[in-house]
Amino acid sequence: MKSVLVVLFLLTGVFANEALLPTELTAWKSLSFVSAAKSANELSNASLVLNNTSLVGLHPTPKIQYVTRPTNEGGTVSYGGLFQITLKEGGLYRVVLANASWIDLIKDGKPAQSVAHAQGSENSGIRKMVDYNLDKGTYTLQLSAGADTKSALLVTKLK
Amino acid sequence: MIKHILTIVIYLLVAQPALQAQSAQESVEQKAQIELGRHLFYDADLSINGTMSCATCHEQRRSFADGNQAHPGALDDQGKRNVPGLANIGQFKNLTWAHNRLSGLAEQSLMPMRGTDPVEMGMNGHEDEISKRLSQNGCYQKLFLLAFPKEKGSIHIGTVSKALESFQKTFVSNDSLYDQTMKKGTSLPTKNAQRGKKLFFGAAQCNTCHTAPLFSDDDFHLVQPRVQNTEQKTTDHGLSDVTGNPKDKNVFRTPSLRNAALTSPYWHDGSAKTLIEAIQKHDLKINQTLTHQDIAELVAFIDTLSDMTFVNNPKYAKPSKECPY
Repeated sequence: MKSVLVVLFLLTGVFANEALLPTELTAWKSLSFVSAAKSANELSNASLVLNNTSLVGLHPTPKIQYVTRPTNEGGTVSYGGLFQITLKEGGLYRVVLANASWIDLIKDGKPAQSVAHAQGSENSGIRKMVDYNLDKGTYTLQLSAGADTKSALLVTKLK
Repeated sequence: MIKHILTIVIYLLVAQPALQAQSAQESVEQKAQIELGRHLFYDADLSINGTMSCATCHEQRRSFADGNQAHPGALDDQGKRNVPGLANIGQFKNLTWAHNRLSGLAEQSLMPMRGTDPVEMGMNGHEDEISKRLSQNGCYQKLFLLAFPKEKGSIHIGTVSKALESFQKTFVSNDSLYDQTMKKGTSLPTKNAQRGKKLFFGAAQCNTCHTAPLFSDDDFHLVQPRVQNTEQKTTDHGLSDVTGNPKDKNVFRTPSLRNAALTSPYWHDGSAKTLIEAIQKHDLKINQTLTHQDIAELVAFIDTLSDMTFVNNPKYAKPSKECPY
């Protein structure tokens, strides 16, 4: 119940001024809550669903054991966490975030190289969008160096 | 006379080892300062909310520049200027895009940490927080003690900035294809690059300001229209914002072209997406005579200034999590 209230409260803030979004981003507006894992052992409880936006709860950086050392490690006062997502097919994917956390997508111990970065349109609630060409499989999505205890997070397929 | 000779001999026998010991001690300190500076360069605890380190904007793979037009600050304030690369930064007297009054890299490092126009790392008024955070880390306690024994390893923004200076002074880039051919006395491998080199040092006069070997004269120039149209209105007036002298309006420091191919976008405001656009943006008479082919050849030459040993040098990379001491 508490989680539902938190989601509703945040929805009113995030989408206070609604913006028009392109069709591939419509899933941005249907949030579910996922608490980030603090280590690889907890990943099964931190699964993301493709094309579903999640409100994610993040942890203080000193409490997190990342699978792979993040490219941009946050300081002791920052927040982050781990998630997992399974992609059934390869293609161009976009990770969309409401805050500016650093994103690493890892498969078989190797981080994927991003191919494009952008910010969201005004009042969209989107702070950051990063695109990756990904193979099918299960990925660990790491957020690091975040300023907040929460964010909205979406993984969507572009092509 | 004999007394004088004896004095000199005694001095040599007694003082020389003492001087050598002092020099060795300084060397240990210097080495520790560099190692400490390296750890600090990659530590986001130097920003107010732990989201930004120096390396967040200064990425080694981009010759310590950044792929954005301007990087937002830790509190999401919009960036004002394009992030400059740091290759050979220790050899420059003038630092940043438009400042001629900084005493060195230590003072310069305070600008992103404490600056308010714009807020970058957001530590202005929170300097004690740096000391508090770093002091909780046992490895930092050891590193500061080794690097600053005379100050008993005191952790404060002064010692932090001094260590950052020591690390950045080690950023030496002199092994590009251009350097290698210059050392061997051979030609650049492609006709385009060869013609570009000839143009660069000849008719196009690029070398006047982008002077070899640093490919910057470390001086300030006006290379864009002094009066801009309404769309280009800016609050950034370059050097005049520091000196207050109207003659310095829109005057900026010549950026080094070493590794320029790795540091896009270009210009003090990041408004040139490519090297071609950056060359075309120079509002100089000589530019009007350059053909598209000339510009392509100049770009081919600038490409040869990329130094992959510099951007892959493990000495500059993020340090291991393990404490080195």
